[in-house]
Amino acid sequence: MGDARSLMELSDGGLVVAIGRYREEALAEAYRRHAGAVFALARRVLSDGVAAEEVVQEVFLRLWSAPDKFDPGRGSLRSYLLAQTHGRAVDLLRSEGSRRRREEREARQTAEAGYDLEREVWDLAVADRVKEVVAVLPGEERRAIELAYFGGHTYREVATLLGQPEGTVKSRIRAGLQRMRVAMAAETDTAWTTG
Amino acid sequence: MGLPSDTPMDSASHREIAELLGAYALDAVDPDEAAAVESHLLTCPRCRDEVARHLETAAFLASAGAPAPDGVWTRIAASLEEAPPRLDLTRIPGLAGRRERRSLPARPVAAIAAVAAGVIGLLGFQVQQQDERLDQLSPAIEQRGLDEAVAAALFDDRSKKVKLVSDSGTLFANAVVQPDGKGYLVGHNLPDLPPGLTYQLWGLAGDQMVSLGVLGAEPAVRAFTAAGDVSVLAVTAEQAGGVASTTKPPVVRGFV
Repeated sequence: MGDARSLMELSDGGLVVAIGRYREEALAEAYRRHAGAVFALARRVLSDGVAAEEVVQEVFLRLWSAPDKFDPGRGSLRSYLLAQTHGRAVDLLRSEGSRRRREEREARQTAEAGYDLEREVWDLAVADRVKEVVAVLPGEERRAIELAYFGGHTYREVATLLGQPEGTVKSRIRAGLQRMRVAMAAETDTAWTTG
Repeated sequence: MGLPSDTPMDSASHREIAELLGAYALDAVDPDEAAAVESHLLTCPRCRDEVARHLETAAFLASAGAPAPDGVWTRIAASLEEAPPRLDLTRIPGLAGRRERRSLPARPVAAIAAVAAGVIGLLGFQVQQQDERLDQLSPAIEQRGLDEAVAAALFDDRSKKVKLVSDSGTLFANAVVQPDGKGYLVGHNLPDLPPGLTYQLWGLAGDQMVSLGVLGAEPAVRAFTAAGDVSVLAVTAEQAGGVASTTKPPVVRGFV
């Protein structure tokens, strides 16, 4: 399993084991697989390409230095890296007061203008499958999730931005995620049965 | 709603916490709520599973992206070459930091088991030796700053990483041996010896114990050469200056 081709054939879990053995090429392969999504998410949350690059660097160096933080039994490497990315990006966002205020202004304006996650993910050139899954969400759930996830807002802030009760927003975020999960599973089933 | 073992109060808490799980997975809760969720997740596998599902869903949402800019990988690779990684293998990470929060509380233990299982299954015993050295090499790496040759040996996946341990398991020394036989003692917890004594490194070649070097009373990182047929490394305590052959029991020893 020493050459690049066999690394490409390794599962994400196998890659992480190799990273634990200081195999730099394994980290490179993990980067090849996931850095694009990591960068896109960081840039989307931060609206800042330079800061997003720094987050990418941080996330992969963290994988290098602490590979055992990833537990393949609890999720994919991709979701782990993206969760790290999102947490870090939101930290940065919330630590920058001026940026934060600007983001809130923009988000409020966007919300008032009828912000649409479906359009947004389309703008991001996300695969049609994602678009279809997002389309199962009622508009209010889409907006709440978008403002929380891509906008980096807490649910309380989302409630303020949307003029809705906090409890309602909290429930909508959860329900929306669960609804998408079901849609994702259905999509997967369809993909299997249609080959 | 509660788990079978829940008290009514726990069930109420479970319901309240469960309502937060979606927002928690999106980093959209306040710090005090995050702490409450994390505390609950320690004892609630069902909620841990739900958070894991939410994280997968969020990752699905974020699954866009052209390749990251070229320069980023270049910088990452350069960072790897500049210094060995910071070996932050905290076994039970704290829950306060936001980044730590991304590791669900039950993950660390599970992660160790999962990685260990993967290691043994995929790569065998040799790798287990290497994983074990991660914790114990870190002081040497961080405190002494290994020279380039040692760093190169550590990063060379063809190198054999050997953990020498005492019979009681309390003392250890780590060594790395490259394919050409060049090796380095890179970290240990051997106590300083009193004046007049020295540690000495040995290699078992066939049925012969061959001296690989006198280490001194306070061994530091040092190089040695082990012939290709050395199957065991051992350290003994000898008279200062070392001896040609030893009759002493090893302080620590390990298979190459």
